[in-house]
Amino acid sequence: MSPTHLSTIASSRGDPLRELLACRLLICLGPGGVGKTTVSAALALAAALSGRQVDVMTVDPAPRLLDALGLDSAAASTPRAVSLDRLAGAANLGEPAGRAGAAGARRRPAHSAGRLRALRLDPKDTFDALVARHAPSPAAADAIMQNRIYRNLSQALAGVGNYMAIERLLELADEPATDLVVLDTPPAREALDFLDAPRRLLELLNSRAVTLLGGGMRRGLSVVDFAARAVLAAFDRLTGLRLLTDVQAFVQNFDGMYAGFAERAARAQRLMTAKDTAVVVIATAEAERIGQAQDFLAALRKSGIEPRAAIVNRTLPAIVSSAEIARAQFSSALRRKLALAAADLDALGRRERAALETLRASSPATMRLFTIADFEREPAALRDLVRLGQTLTVLE
Amino acid sequence: MDLARLLLVTGKGGTGKSTVAGAMALALARRHPTTLVDLDQQMRAARMIGLIPGVEPDRGESDSEPTAVPNLETASVRPSAELAAFIDRIVPIKALARRMLQSRTFGYVSAALPGLDAFLMLERLRVHAERAAEQDRYVVVDAPATGSALELLAVPSALKRIAPLGTLNRLATGVEEFIADASRFAVILTLTPQEFAIREAMETSDVLRGRMGVSVAAAALNRVPYRLFERAELAALEADPACARLARWRDGAEGQAARARRLALRAGLELVELPMLFRPTLGRPELETLAAALEGRLVPARPGRAAAQAPVAAGATKHGRAARAHASSPPSRDRHGAAARKPH
Repeated sequence: MSPTHLSTIASSRGDPLRELLACRLLICLGPGGVGKTTVSAALALAAALSGRQVDVMTVDPAPRLLDALGLDSAAASTPRAVSLDRLAGAANLGEPAGRAGAAGARRRPAHSAGRLRALRLDPKDTFDALVARHAPSPAAADAIMQNRIYRNLSQALAGVGNYMAIERLLELADEPATDLVVLDTPPAREALDFLDAPRRLLELLNSRAVTLLGGGMRRGLSVVDFAARAVLAAFDRLTGLRLLTDVQAFVQNFDGMYAGFAERAARAQRLMTAKDTAVVVIATAEAERIGQAQDFLAALRKSGIEPRAAIVNRTLPAIVSSAEIARAQFSSALRRKLALAAADLDALGRRERAALETLRASSPATMRLFTIADFEREPAALRDLVRLGQTLTVLE
Repeated sequence: MDLARLLLVTGKGGTGKSTVAGAMALALARRHPTTLVDLDQQMRAARMIGLIPGVEPDRGESDSEPTAVPNLETASVRPSAELAAFIDRIVPIKALARRMLQSRTFGYVSAALPGLDAFLMLERLRVHAERAAEQDRYVVVDAPATGSALELLAVPSALKRIAPLGTLNRLATGVEEFIADASRFAVILTLTPQEFAIREAMETSDVLRGRMGVSVAAAALNRVPYRLFERAELAALEADPACARLARWRDGAEGQAARARRLALRAGLELVELPMLFRPTLGRPELETLAAALEGRLVPARPGRAAAQAPVAAGATKHGRAARAHASSPPSRDRHGAAARKPH
C-alpha cells in the first residue's frame, strides 16, 4: 500500500491514478451517501492540476461543495470556470498532504495551464425538456406529457435527471477544447439505472408488440396484435386500469420523435462503451456498501462495460502508532486510554480490511482498487478537495 | 403501546439497517416466534446472523455452515414472484395468465406502472402481518434505504388514484389501512450519531407520522461509543495533535449522540441506543449483544408471562451505558445477553 500523491502524477509513468485520469470521460457511479459528488470533484481537480482541460458535471451537490466549486444553488447549465489560482499558496500542492503548510517557499501555482469548469444539473429538470426539444410541435409535446404511460415511463425508465445528464454529456464531450469530462451520476440503486437509460428507451420503442399496439389503429388487427391487445384488455378489465388506450396514444404520439431519440440514445450508448471512457464505482467500506459495489460491478460487466476502478471512500485513517503513544508526554493512565482507543481503531481496521478483501477477491485483476481515508470533516473548500485527492491510495 | 406485528426497518444508507433488523429479529425470537423478511434480495441480515450461507464481508466466518436460531425463520418477498402470484389470482384462465406474464408488452407496461411491483410486495407484507397476529408471531422486515422505503409506502394511495375501480383499488385500500394501523405495522428508523443521518431520521419520522399516518416504533441510534476520555483529558491531549485526533475519532460521536437524544425527545420518538462495537467482525455474537439492548426496550413479554418479564433491564440502555461491551471484553453468547446489561 503506497500513497499516490498528486504531485507525483505528472512525473511517474504507469501510475494508477494518472492512468485513471488519462481517459476522455470518467463516469462515477455508486449508491447514495458515499460521497460520490465530492470524490468526482476531487478527481476532476486532480486532473486539472496535472494540466488537463477538465469539465465536471455534478448532480445535487451538498451546499458546502457548491461553495468549494464556486457554484451557487441555482443550477448552472453552462460550465463555470473554477478558479485554481485560489489554490496557489493556500496549500502546498507540490507537497504530500502531511507536510502541507510546512513551507511557504513554493508559491507558484502548482497547476500548469490546466483548467477546471463545473456545472450543476438540476435533478428536477427531466425528460420533459427532451420531449419538448424533439417533439414536432408544442401540441404534440403536450399530448405526450399528459399521457399517463409517458408520465410513468419518464419516472420508471429515466430516473430523475438521467437523460438530461446524458444530453449535456453528449454536448460537453463534443467540445474540442475539453480533454476530460468527469460525470457524477445521480444516486442509483442499480448501476445500470443510469448507463442503461438510452438503451432501455430504444428497446421499448423498438419493441414489436408496442409498435403493433400503437399502430393497430391504422393497420387493422393482425393475429399477434390481437393477442397482445387481449392480454392488456383482460388486465384492464380485471384491475380497473385503462392501460390499453394509454399505450396506444403514447406510441402514436411518440411516432414523430422516434428518430431524434434513437440517434441520441445510440450516440450515448457508444460513448458509454468507448475505449477512452472509464467507469468508476464509488462506495464506502461498510459491508452494506461493499455489497452494493459488488452488485454494481457485476451488473456493469454483465452488460459489457469493464469498470476501470472502484474507489472506497472514508476508510479508517492511520492516526498514531503504539510506539508514538508510548513515547507521548502524558500520564500513564491517559496513555493506557490512548492505547485502548488505538486498539479499538485497529479492531475496526481489521473489519474494514476484510471488507476490502472481499471486494478485491470479487473484482477482475484489471480493475484498480483505491481507498480515500476519512477526512474528519466535510470538505468545505477547494483545498480540501485537493487534499482528498492526495489521500487517494492504491490498494495493491 | 403494544408493538406492531410487523416492523419495517429502514434508515439512511450506511446506518446499519440490516444490522438492526437482524438484532431486532434475534431480540424478538428470544420470546416469540419471529420471521425475518428480506425485501431487497440481498438477505444481508439473515447472512449476518448465519441463518443462510453466503459471504458476508463483516461476518468473519464466511464459509461456515448455516446455523438455525430457535423461533426464527426467514422469508423473502420478490417483486417478480408477487406479480406472478397476483396475475394468477385475478386471471381465472390459467392459459391467459401465463400468456400475460410472458408478454413483453405486459412486462413493459407493468414496469411502467408506478410501483405495481412495490405495491404487491406491500400486499404480501400485509398477509405476513395477518398470519403473525394469529400465531403470536412478529415479523421484522429488512427494508431498503429511507428514500425507497418512503416511495414504497406512498404507493397504495398513488395506485388508488390511477385505478379508481376494480381489484387493484380494493387491494390498495386494504394495504393503506394496514400501514396506518399501529397494531399491525410500524417502522423502526436507524440512524448513527452523524449530522446527516440524524437529520434524515428526523425528517423521515415527520413524513411517516405526520403525512402518512404511519407509526414509528422506535429510532435505533446505532454505533454510540461509550465515553473513554474525560473532558479534562481531551483538553490535555491537544498538546499532541495526533493523540488528540485519535481521541476525537474514538469519542467524537458523543456530541452528535447527545444531539440525537435531544431531538428524539422533542419529537416524542422512542430512542433506543445501540453500542458501537469495536470488534473486527460483525456477526451473530455481535448481533446478540445489540439484541440485548433492544430486547429490554422493545420486545413485549411472552403472552401470559407479563409479570415475570416486566422488570427486565428497565432504562439500562439509557445514555448508551449498555455500551460497555468493549473489544477487550468479548460479548456474551448468553442467549439473554446478560453481559451487555450488567450494571456498573
